[in-house]
Amino acid sequence: MRDLVEVLFKEIPSGVGSKGRLRLSRTDQERLLLRGARWAVEQGYGEPEDLLYIESGGAIEGADPSLISEKAYERGRAQQGTLGSGNHFLEIQYVEEIYDERAAQVFGLFPEQVTLMIHTGSRGFGHQVCTDYLQVMESAVKKYGINLPDKELACAPFNSQEAQDYFAAMKAAANYAWANRQCIMHWCRVAFMKVLGASKTELGMHLIYDVAHNIAKVEQHTVDGKKRRLIVHRKGATRAFSAGHPEIPDRYRDIGQPVLIPGDMGRASYVLIGTEQAMKESFGSTCHGAGRVLSRHQAIKRAKGRAIWREMEDAGILVRSAGRKTLAEEMSEAYKDISSVVDVVERAGISKKVAKLRPLGVVKG
Amino acid sequence: MDKDFEILDISGDVGIRVFGENLEKLFINAARGLYNLITENSNIHSSKAVDINVYAESLDGLLVGWLNELIFQFDTYGFLGRDIEIKNLTENRIEATVFGEEFDPEKHEKGLLIKAATYHNLKIEKQNGLWSVEVIFDI
Repeated sequence: MRDLVEVLFKEIPSGVGSKGRLRLSRTDQERLLLRGARWAVEQGYGEPEDLLYIESGGAIEGADPSLISEKAYERGRAQQGTLGSGNHFLEIQYVEEIYDERAAQVFGLFPEQVTLMIHTGSRGFGHQVCTDYLQVMESAVKKYGINLPDKELACAPFNSQEAQDYFAAMKAAANYAWANRQCIMHWCRVAFMKVLGASKTELGMHLIYDVAHNIAKVEQHTVDGKKRRLIVHRKGATRAFSAGHPEIPDRYRDIGQPVLIPGDMGRASYVLIGTEQAMKESFGSTCHGAGRVLSRHQAIKRAKGRAIWREMEDAGILVRSAGRKTLAEEMSEAYKDISSVVDVVERAGISKKVAKLRPLGVVKG
Repeated sequence: MDKDFEILDISGDVGIRVFGENLEKLFINAARGLYNLITENSNIHSSKAVDINVYAESLDGLLVGWLNELIFQFDTYGFLGRDIEIKNLTENRIEATVFGEEFDPEKHEKGLLIKAATYHNLKIEKQNGLWSVEVIFDI
């Protein structure tokens, strides 16, 4: 396990100031923004089969690379294939408990199986797109005479040129994120093969699911008995579609969409499925993580004089991090107990537990 | 005021409260506060100069735009600033030269990866001749 964590830490760039190993030309970048994880697979990062288990097949239609600023291209160039920092992570886990045998079987999960979870996104690229379009929205708010209660809010009517341009740019950022996770997943598989001396087939590291948890999408939902096309923005939430939804991969269609809810690095993470209730009550959404109880500053204060890595090692979890303070900020006590959080969403009926995953090795930025 | 900036204790993201005896100082101290979140300021040397030119429709927007430009310079080129020379500062425009160096993982501490400055609760104020502002960053 120590070798594995070490190799993952070395092979996947993470933390402040890290650069990716990909050197992309402008044409590569544009293709990546259009084709997302499909681009990554075409480059040899992962298997065509992976794309079946990524939301929207790993690329949303309608991304427009011509609506991306030079700055965003520049900022995104060296960051493709990097983990980032903060709450982003790679985690080696094992299946500690199964709650839904049938769903677990369909997802390919069984007790004591080793799993890998990846949490990262569109990195500085997505943020630059946001920063660029906030300026566009600021002007749009004035142009369309919209009165906003808070300076932090920004908007434009969805059918306006400004909003449509942003939507196409946001889709490019989503595709950037899917490509990023696909590349990282590939390098993780290579790391496992290298350290364990096993072949791809022997390891059988199949992708269960890859889903965005900060994205706006046009979807059809039933509101007051009528079917309507809506823009659903999930932020701090993740998609949880119920069985039968056409967006769910064929293999999972009768079960429901896999929902991944990571907890903190010391306790647990969960796999759940979306429910009919979520379709009715939360536009097919559920919570996306544990949520903090301590601010970063409070966490650092509480960790003073303690060796968080050693505490975790004593609990059987090996951890590596790029930043000196990251482990203190991300320690278990800084988060709500994910098991209680997941019980709440299950009792609310908006997702149903399938399996509990316990961390064994963690890489943080 | 003996402090140029202080770190704000908030859940989730991170913020700074910045002070300055004039607007130039406020912008400079905001930049220092930002760099302090990314790494240990005292380890940065001034061996390279980067010109920054930002336009915005409001003073608040200018401060956010200024910080976002510095974040862009770091996140894209690894550039960390130490000394800042403001050549021109109005309500809508800032022209400055930032002296610093490129991030070196062997030498510089890895602090927070700041993604953007936000407008959240942002309000530039002047009281008894002292300027102040709170800035919350996305991380």
